[in-house]
Amino acid sequence: MITLRNICKRFGDVPVLRDVTLHVQKGEVCVLLGPSGGGKSTLLRTINGLETFDSGEIDVGGIKLTPGKGAAHEMALSQIRQRVGMVFQQFNLFPHRTVLENVTEAPIHVLKRSKDAAVAKARELLARVGLAEKSDFKPTSLSGGQQQRVAIARALAMDPEAILFDEPTSALDPKMTAEVISVMSDLAAEGQTMIVVTHAMGFARSVGHQVHILHAGTIAESGPPAQIFEDPKSDVTREFLAEVRKTG
Amino acid sequence: MAARPEEPSLHRVRHCDLLTVIVIAIVSIAVAPTVHAGEALDAIRERGTLRWGADMEGGGPFVFPSPTNEDSDRVEGFEVEIANLLAERLGAEAEFRQNPWDKLPEVLNGGSIDIVLNGYEWSPAWAEQYGTSIPYYVYELQLLGRKSDDTLLTWDDLLNPAGGPRKVAVLGGSAADLYLQSLDLDHIEIVLYDGATDAMQSVKNEIDDLDANLQDLCVWTYYQDGFPDLRAVGEPVSRGYYVIFVRQDEPELLSEINEAIIDALRDGSLREILSKYGMWNDTQAARALETNADGGFTGDLLSDDDGTRGRGNFSLRGWDVIRQRGGTLVRAAGMTVLLAALSMPLAIFIGLIVTLCRMYGPWFLGNPAALYVELVRGTPLVLQLYVIFFLLPEIGISVPPVVAAVLGLAINYSAYEAEIYRAGLQAIPKGQMEAAMALGMSKWMALKRVIIPQSTRIVIPPMTNDFIALFKDTAVCSVITVVELSKEYNIQARSTMAILELGLLTALLYMAMSYPLSVVAAKLERNLQKGQR
Repeated sequence: MITLRNICKRFGDVPVLRDVTLHVQKGEVCVLLGPSGGGKSTLLRTINGLETFDSGEIDVGGIKLTPGKGAAHEMALSQIRQRVGMVFQQFNLFPHRTVLENVTEAPIHVLKRSKDAAVAKARELLARVGLAEKSDFKPTSLSGGQQQRVAIARALAMDPEAILFDEPTSALDPKMTAEVISVMSDLAAEGQTMIVVTHAMGFARSVGHQVHILHAGTIAESGPPAQIFEDPKSDVTREFLAEVRKTG
Repeated sequence: MAARPEEPSLHRVRHCDLLTVIVIAIVSIAVAPTVHAGEALDAIRERGTLRWGADMEGGGPFVFPSPTNEDSDRVEGFEVEIANLLAERLGAEAEFRQNPWDKLPEVLNGGSIDIVLNGYEWSPAWAEQYGTSIPYYVYELQLLGRKSDDTLLTWDDLLNPAGGPRKVAVLGGSAADLYLQSLDLDHIEIVLYDGATDAMQSVKNEIDDLDANLQDLCVWTYYQDGFPDLRAVGEPVSRGYYVIFVRQDEPELLSEINEAIIDALRDGSLREILSKYGMWNDTQAARALETNADGGFTGDLLSDDDGTRGRGNFSLRGWDVIRQRGGTLVRAAGMTVLLAALSMPLAIFIGLIVTLCRMYGPWFLGNPAALYVELVRGTPLVLQLYVIFFLLPEIGISVPPVVAAVLGLAINYSAYEAEIYRAGLQAIPKGQMEAAMALGMSKWMALKRVIIPQSTRIVIPPMTNDFIALFKDTAVCSVITVVELSKEYNIQARSTMAILELGLLTALLYMAMSYPLSVVAAKLERNLQKGQR
C-alpha cells in the first residue's frame, strides 16, 4: 500500500537517508526503531511531504511522489495528505479551537463534508478515544495524553488509509503513554495501516507486524518483532537493543 | 505673509524642517503645469466659479473663519472681498479653496485653483515663475515692542549696537525676515516663527528673551486690540506689494485681473474694502487713481474709518469661545476620525499581504515585499504624502486630498503592521503549520484557518498602539491641504487668540478618540486570551 524506493536525502553535505527502500502492506503496523539521528523521523516525514527528498520514489496507493516542484507535485502531495494522517510528538493541536473543532476542521474544510456529518463523526471518534466529555474544551486544558488522543481522533476523522505516528509518546509520562498505546493498539487490532516511529519497545514487540532498524540513514535490519528482539542478525540491532535495555 | 522663494540661508532653517525645504525644491522643479496654457479665463467663465487659493490659518485681516457664522466653511477678510470683486468682474462666483500657505504656488500649478490671493509679496523670483498682477495692497512693516520696555522706543534703539544684543521675532521667510537680514547687524538675532500672531504672543510673554516683532502693518492693525501690552515702535518701514498669482502663460486672465484692480481703485471700491479693515492709509492713497462720476480726480481720500472698525474682536474667551468655535473643532475631529478609520483597515490589509508575500511567497514576491517595508519605514510620512499628492499627478494620476491622505497613511502604517504581523506569525510554533499541512490543507488555507487566527492575539496590543499613533499622525495630512483637527485648531486659535481654551478642547477631543480605542483593545485582548486558555 505504501512503498518507498531508493530514497536518498542530504542536509547539505550530510547524508540523512541513504537509499532506503521500504514496503508497507495494507493493515500492517510498521515500526521504525533505531538510535537517535538514524533518520527515522525524517523518513516518516518524507512520506507526506513534510520533508523533501533528493532522489527515489514514494508510492502511496498508486499516487507517485518524486523529488521536485510544480503543480503536479503539489497535487500528488495534497492527495497523499488527504489519505495519510499524521500524529506528532508535540500533538500540534490547534489551540484556538475546541477539541471538537480540531477534529472537524479538516473534514469540513478539506474534504468539504457537511458540518453535521463531520460533527457526528467527530463525536463518535472522540468517544472511541475516551474523550466524549471533553468535546467543548480547549486543547490546552487537557493533559498531554488526552491531547494526543484528540490528535489521533483528528487524524482518524479523515478516514486515512494509513496513519504516520512520529514518536507519539515521547513527550508523555508512563501513565499517559499507556493511554495512548492502548488507543493505538485498538486501531492496530481493527486493521488500521500504521507507520510508527517510537521508542516504546513494548508496543513495537506486541503490536508491530514488521520492525525496521534505522541507523545512519539506512535500514540495518528488518523483520517481524519476534525475530528482531529474540534473534537479531546485525550488530547495529544488538547494540541498539543492549542500549535500550540498559537505560530503561 | 509675503515670502520670497529664494535664498534659504542656513540660520533661517531653525523653525522650518530642512527636509520640507528639499522636498518643496524637488516638487517645484518637477511639477509643471498639468493644465493647458491660456485656457484659464475661458474655463472660469464656463465653470462659473473663480477658484481662489488661500490659507485660513494666516488669520486676520487676510482670510479667516467667519466668527459670526456657525458654518465653518464661511470665510471673511479683505482678500475674501477682493476675490468676490474679481469674480464678479469675470462673470463668475468666487470659490474659496483652503490650502497650506506655503504650498499655494504648487497647488496653482497643479490646476486645482485659478489664482493665489493670500498676501504673497511680489519679488523678481516669483515674477519669473508666475504671472503676477499689479498690487492690490501696498504693505509696510511695523516694529512692535512691549509697552513696559523703555529701552525700545524708536528704530534707532533697535539699530544701535550700543543698546546691547536684541532678539526680534519674524514670520519665517517673510518680508520682515528678509528686511532684517538685509540690515546685516550682528547684534540683532532673528527668531523665526510659523504664525504671525505666535510671534506677537511670544514678544508679549517675553518668551526666549524676545525684544521685538517686525510685523506686517495690516496684521498689527487687525490684532492690536488682542495685544494691549504691545505698542508700535517708530514709523512703518520697507514698502512692498501684495499681488495675485496666476499660472504662467495666462496673459488674458492676468490682464482681466489687472483691469479689475485698476477699476476698483478708480471707483473707490478697493478703498472701501481696505477701509473696512483699517488698511487704507496714506500709502494706499498715494496711488491716486480714484475719480468721481465725471471722471475727475478726487484728490486724497483718506480712510473714512475711525481706525477701530476693521480690528479683530478678541474679547471672546473662556466658555464663550468654546461654545462658538467648539462645533467647528468637533467637525474637524470628524475628519480626523474619517482619515484614521479609513486608512487603518487599509494598512492592516496591505500589511498582511506584504507579510504573507515576504514570509510564505516565492522570492519574486518576497523580495519586493521586504524592500517595500524598508522603503516605507525608512522615509517620513510627510514625504510619502508629498509624493502621492504632488508627484502622482505628474504621471497622470490625480487624487483628491482626502484620498491621498488616506492612501499615504495606509501605506505608511502598512509597513509597521507588516512587521508586527511578521513577529506575530513567527511566534506560532512550526508544528501548527505542519499539522495543518498534514491534514491536507493548502498553505493558504493553513494560514487563514490556523496560523493567522492564532497570531491575532499576539498582534492586537501593538496594533492598538499603532492605531492610536495613526490618529495623531493624521495631523501631518494638513501639508496636503486636508483640514483636520490640528489644522483647524491652528486656524481657530490664531483667529481668536484663544490658544489655551481651544487647545484644551483639542486635546480633549484627541483623548476622546484614542481612549475608547485603548479600552476596546484591552477588552478584545482579554477575550482572546480567555478563548485561548
